Amino acid sequence: MTPPAIETEGLTKRFGEFTAVADLDLRVETGTVVSLLGPNGAGKTTTVRVLATLLRPDGGSARVGGHDVVHEAAEVRRLISLTGQFAALDPHLTARENLVLMARLRGRGRRDAEEVTERLIERFAIAEFRDRLVKRLSGGERRRVDLAAGLIDTPHVLVLDEPTTGLDPRSRQVVWSTIRALVDDGVTLLLTTQYLEEADALADRVVLIDHGRAVAAGTPAQLKTQVGAQRVDVIGADAAEFERLCLVLDGPFEISTSAEQRTVSVAAPDEAVDLARVAAAVAERGIAVDEIALRRPTLDDAFLALTGHPAHEGSEADAEPEEVAV
Amino acid sequence: MSAVRATGLLTVRSLRAIPRVPERLLDVTIQPIVFILLFLYVFGSAIHVPGVSYKDYLFPGIIGQSLAFGIIGAGVATSHDMAEGVIDRFRSMPISRLSIINAQVMGQFCEQVLGMTIVVVFGLILGWTPHLTVAHAVELVALMVLAMFAFTWMGVLLGMLVRSPDAMQGVGFIVIFPLAFLAGTFVPIAGMDAVPRAIAQWDPISALVGTVRGLTEGVHTSGSWQLAHPELAMALWCLVIIAVCVPLALRRFNRTLAG
Repeated sequence: MTPPAIETEGLTKRFGEFTAVADLDLRVETGTVVSLLGPNGAGKTTTVRVLATLLRPDGGSARVGGHDVVHEAAEVRRLISLTGQFAALDPHLTARENLVLMARLRGRGRRDAEEVTERLIERFAIAEFRDRLVKRLSGGERRRVDLAAGLIDTPHVLVLDEPTTGLDPRSRQVVWSTIRALVDDGVTLLLTTQYLEEADALADRVVLIDHGRAVAAGTPAQLKTQVGAQRVDVIGADAAEFERLCLVLDGPFEISTSAEQRTVSVAAPDEAVDLARVAAAVAERGIAVDEIALRRPTLDDAFLALTGHPAHEGSEADAEPEEVAV
Repeated sequence: MSAVRATGLLTVRSLRAIPRVPERLLDVTIQPIVFILLFLYVFGSAIHVPGVSYKDYLFPGIIGQSLAFGIIGAGVATSHDMAEGVIDRFRSMPISRLSIINAQVMGQFCEQVLGMTIVVVFGLILGWTPHLTVAHAVELVALMVLAMFAFTWMGVLLGMLVRSPDAMQGVGFIVIFPLAFLAGTFVPIAGMDAVPRAIAQWDPISALVGTVRGLTEGVHTSGSWQLAHPELAMALWCLVIIAVCVPLALRRFNRTLAG
C-alpha cells in the first residue's frame, strides 16, 4: 500500500509564545487536491513550510510520501516542490536563466536543462517575457515562472502556498487554468488559500484551518451542507409587496424574513422543484418582486458558521510572523 | 547532485548578479576611492608622517579599511539574499545546504577581490608606489586573501543574524566604521589621545593596516604586541574569526533559519 502523499499527526509549531499550528492532523492522498483554507495568520504558511523542511516542528509528526520531514529531510526534498506566496526566484536573473538554474540544480546537464526550460516556457506561456529580469516582471508573470520552477521534475507532491494572493482577477484566472491543467495531469496538490472560491473551484477536499487548528474538513459540497440546506430568496419590489410575500409564503413554506432587505427566504430542500412552487405562488397572487433565486450556501457561509467569524476578518497586518531572527 | 557541482552553479548565480547590480560594489569601491581623494587632496596636506610621503602612508591604510568594509558589503548582500524567497527555494531542493552557504561565501569573496583590485589599480594610477619584493608580494597577497575569506564569512554570518540590509548598514556604521578609522588608517596611532590609542593598539584592523604598510613601505610601528608583529597578529585574528564565524554561520543557516 502506498503511504499518503502528506500525513501529519498532532503537528504543532510555536514561535515563542505564539502557537502558529496546534495539533494539526492532515492527510492528502496521492492524486488528490486538498486545500488548506483559512484567513491570514491561520497557520497555513507555517504548515507548508514544515512540510517543505524549511521549519522544524515542535510537536507531532509530518510525513511526505511516508518520509519524516525531520529525520528523512533529504528524501522529503526530493518528493516535494513548494511554490511559496513570495516568488522564490533570483530577481537578478531572467525568467529563462532562473528556470535553467533550477533545472541544473535538480541534476540535469546544460542541454537537458535548456530543453526542459523551453518546454516549461511554452506550457506556462512565459515566452513573451522569457529574457526579462525577474525583478522587472509583474506579479502574475512572476507567479507563472515560479510555478514553472516548481515543476521541472514532476514532483510527487506539489505545494502551492496562496498561489493567487495579491494578483489581479485576470492573472488569477490564468493561474487557475494553469493549476487546473496540472490537476488534470494527476498531480497531487496541497493548496493553501484564503479565498473560499479558490478552494471551491480547485480542490477535492477542503480543510478549514483557524488559529492553527483544523476546524472542519470535507468536500466543498459537504462543508456547504454542514451549514444548512439550500433556500429560495424572494425580494419584494417594495415594503408593501414584501408584506404580501410574507402572508402568502408563510404557511405553505418554512420561511425566514428580513424586512430591511425586503427578502423572504424559503427553505428549499427539493431545490428546483421548490423554486418552481415558490415562483408559481408568487405569480398567482400577482406580487411584484425584484428577484427570485435559488441560493446554495457558499463556503463563506460555511466559514462563518464553523468558526464564528468571517474568513476575511484578518487584515494584511496580522499575517503570520516571519521566523524572527533574534 | 554533488555538493561541489551545486556550489559551482550557485556561485555562478551570485557572480552573474554583479554586473546587474553594480551598486553592490559601491561599498568596496566608491567608498575607498572617496576616502583616497578626500585624504590625499583635502586633509592630507595637514597631516605629517615622519619618514614617508603621505601618499605612500595613506594607501596601505585605505587597503586595510577596504578589507574591513568588505564585512559590511558581504553582510548587506547576504541579508538581501536571505530576504529574497530564492534561498528558501534552494533550501527546499534536494541539494546540500552546505553548498548554498559555500556559494554565498564564494560569490561575496569574488566581489571583495574585484573591489580590492579596483582600489589598488586606482591607487597605482594616482601614483602610489609600493616598494615590494617578490617574497613580500606573495606574503601580502596570501594574507589579504586570508583576511577577505575570514571577513566574508563574518559578513555572511552578520547578514544572516540581522536579516535586513538597513540593520547591517547600521552595524557597519556603529562598529566597523570607527574601528576602521582608529586603526592608524589616516594618522599615526602614536599621536592619538590615550583612550583611542589604547583601542587602536588592539584594534584588529590596526594589524591589517600595519601588515600592508610594513610589507609595502617598510614602515613599522610599535606600542603593542600586535603593532610590533602585525603579520602574525593579522593571521591570528583571521584564524580566530574563521574558527568562530564558520561554525556559527553554518549552524545559523541550517538550524535556526530552519526553525
